[in-house]
Amino acid sequence: MQAFMRVISIVMLLAVQPSLADDRADYLLHCGGCHLPDGRGTPPEVPSLRDELGKIITIQGGRDYLVQVPGSSQAPVSDLVLANIINWILVKFNQQTLADDFVPLSENEVSNARKFTLADPLKRRDEIWANYVD
Amino acid sequence: MKIIESLLSRLDDMACRSSREIAQRSSRRRFIGKLGALMVGATAFPLLPVSRANAEPPSEMGDPQSCDYWRYCALGGTLCTCCGGSMTTCPPGAEPSPISWVGTCLNPVDNKHYLISYNDCCGKAICGRCFCHRAERDTPVYAPSKANDILWCFGTESRTYHCTVAIVLGEASA
Repeated sequence: MQAFMRVISIVMLLAVQPSLADDRADYLLHCGGCHLPDGRGTPPEVPSLRDELGKIITIQGGRDYLVQVPGSSQAPVSDLVLANIINWILVKFNQQTLADDFVPLSENEVSNARKFTLADPLKRRDEIWANYVD
Repeated sequence: MKIIESLLSRLDDMACRSSREIAQRSSRRRFIGKLGALMVGATAFPLLPVSRANAEPPSEMGDPQSCDYWRYCALGGTLCTCCGGSMTTCPPGAEPSPISWVGTCLNPVDNKHYLISYNDCCGKAICGRCFCHRAERDTPVYAPSKANDILWCFGTESRTYHCTVAIVLGEASA
């Protein structure tokens, strides 16, 4: 009976916990229109979010860059929701490249990075990729 | 005839014997217990965080050729349903734009909000029928990602606008 109760309580916890489904809905609402529901985008106009981002977060400034690109920083969502969406994109679309010891972005980290506006996002992207070590 | 009769009586015997054997081996309480577990299990399953965002709306109500239809709550343009297409497909000869803008609309049937993707169909002159302009949560063009006054023919051969489809992507909140 105890084991049964344990199973039931785990099931209940899973049901109450804010699930990935919410992050997916936020992604679709704020990003998916252009980057498409599966994140593949329409390069070069709309960059792909698949597998590139796992690499870019290993570069100095790369984590902040993901917050500072106009589509992220100007999305009408809180810092916490933005952190959740970016983490969801990293986990869902970047399994191939995401490091095993990946630390999810925190609300605080997003909040700090979001204060800086990129005057030229494409230039910044080139600067970041220049420091990429495979 | 005798053969058939003996066959039937043998069948009767077999059925009788096997049901008695089952009755001896299993108790009624155990059956009720198992049934109970199955029922509890079945009710617990829908609580699991499966991808509910994939769910299509259970039912819809209204006329898809009318601007008042629930899916069109943020649609500015002409309805593909009036132009030879459907709610989800472009009319023949028009190319769907992969890039869309995504909003949410309330489905009056189940009172839930759904994510709606408004994809423009492009490459043909504008369809002259069913022009709608509804603007729930529409933003001014300086916030373009949620502005429905913009032509969303991006990533297509032609930027000529023909009509708009409204695709349900899933539930807005789980």
